[in-house]
Amino acid sequence: MHIQSVRRYLLQSNHNSHVKRIIVGLLVLAVFGFASKLIFAPATFGDLGHYRAKAILEEANLEPRLMTNESCLTCHQHEKRKHLKGTHKTVSCEFCHGAYFDHILDDKKIGTLDVKKGEEIRVLCLRCHNKEIQARPTDKIKTVALPQHLEEKRVRTTHTCDQCHYVHAPLEYVNLAKKMMRIKDEPEKEPCP
Amino acid sequence: MGENSQTLDKERRDFIKKVLKGTIGGSLLLVIPAGLRSGIEVPVQIPGIRDQEYDLNKKRFAFVVDITSCIGCGSCCVADKREYKVPDYHYRTWVERYLKDFDDKIYVDSPNGGLDGYQEPRKDLDKEIRDTFFVPKLCNMCNDPPCVQVCPVGATFRSPDGFVLVDEKHCVGCAYCIQACPYSVRFLNPVTHSADKCTWCYHRVRKGLLPACVNVCPTGARKFGDVNDKESEVSKILSGPGVFTVLRKAMGTSPSLHYMGARREVI
Repeated sequence: MHIQSVRRYLLQSNHNSHVKRIIVGLLVLAVFGFASKLIFAPATFGDLGHYRAKAILEEANLEPRLMTNESCLTCHQHEKRKHLKGTHKTVSCEFCHGAYFDHILDDKKIGTLDVKKGEEIRVLCLRCHNKEIQARPTDKIKTVALPQHLEEKRVRTTHTCDQCHYVHAPLEYVNLAKKMMRIKDEPEKEPCP
Repeated sequence: MGENSQTLDKERRDFIKKVLKGTIGGSLLLVIPAGLRSGIEVPVQIPGIRDQEYDLNKKRFAFVVDITSCIGCGSCCVADKREYKVPDYHYRTWVERYLKDFDDKIYVDSPNGGLDGYQEPRKDLDKEIRDTFFVPKLCNMCNDPPCVQVCPVGATFRSPDGFVLVDEKHCVGCAYCIQACPYSVRFLNPVTHSADKCTWCYHRVRKGLLPACVNVCPTGARKFGDVNDKESEVSKILSGPGVFTVLRKAMGTSPSLHYMGARREVI
């Protein structure tokens, strides 16, 4: 009965009935819009801008999969002694071996990481040290051409890099051997920063 | 009447208290420092973040790429792939090789985004090359990002500390942002069905770690830091002398990624 009286009031035609209808229509729309925003907009949407503010925290709370050289060298003491003294001190452990968290999780070893051997070593070394790629700034890295380098050093052209160069400190044993054999050429310079 | 207004006042006070609690709680949610998995010793690479209150409005980060130092080894690409398990043939960061001949023509290639490194010189050109260099690419973190402007649902946004991020849960995958990005750093992730992009490793930064690509770069070609921290390397570089450029400056995107030693052909 109450609704009926409202309805009668609205439908009743007089000089301002169209204004009433428009106002009521707008009010209904506003309520509908507000209610649907409450229902459909995700929580924290609009707190900091036109986005879900909590998404920032969710992104910040993702777990890293890669760590730093320091985290690897905490356990690998032998590599620590060699790696940090050699020309490869700026090379990341995880670049050659793989992600830290594929190896350690909650202080436990969960997997063994890759150790490159044989032909894979040559491919890996030439990623940086290939002289054929001329875009490399020469003051940043020492490059070699293969097999010329092997011929020049009078070793078999099937030799892999790690047969002379210890991968963690590439010049350490080469320079030591030269010293023992009293080979007089200049000790190789370190190009890395 | 007096009694009535008192109760009303009390209610109002309670209401204001409740609202304030809610707001403070909400803002705390954003400043609680995110922890690391237990038991790992990790060096602090960016000072003033870990175990401290993080004020979203007080940090401003910048990325500097030194083209004269990049050797194109692809360490950054490998690190990025491992950090995010990026699906094959999609790249959050990649390294381009530029070649310039004596007619000033530019040839750019990036086999597999530099992920496998550059093992061979480019063979399909019989031009004499005058200049050649590598250009690492990643998100420019625009201060006025076109990708955010076009997002119809508010799934991508620029956070108050200047990172352009994607809300994976909210994204509908319409790919407008991918078309809008002038630097082509966005892609549709086939696993999550959401737009995806380089985040400058926001989760690492919030833990005081450098972005994965900066951490592994052997020649220091990638540098990252807080510009507001006067002691940081990046703020020293950017406030010192030197030639810096941003990509597509005329588009008015105002990137936070700066290039050092970039030739004018780099876009």
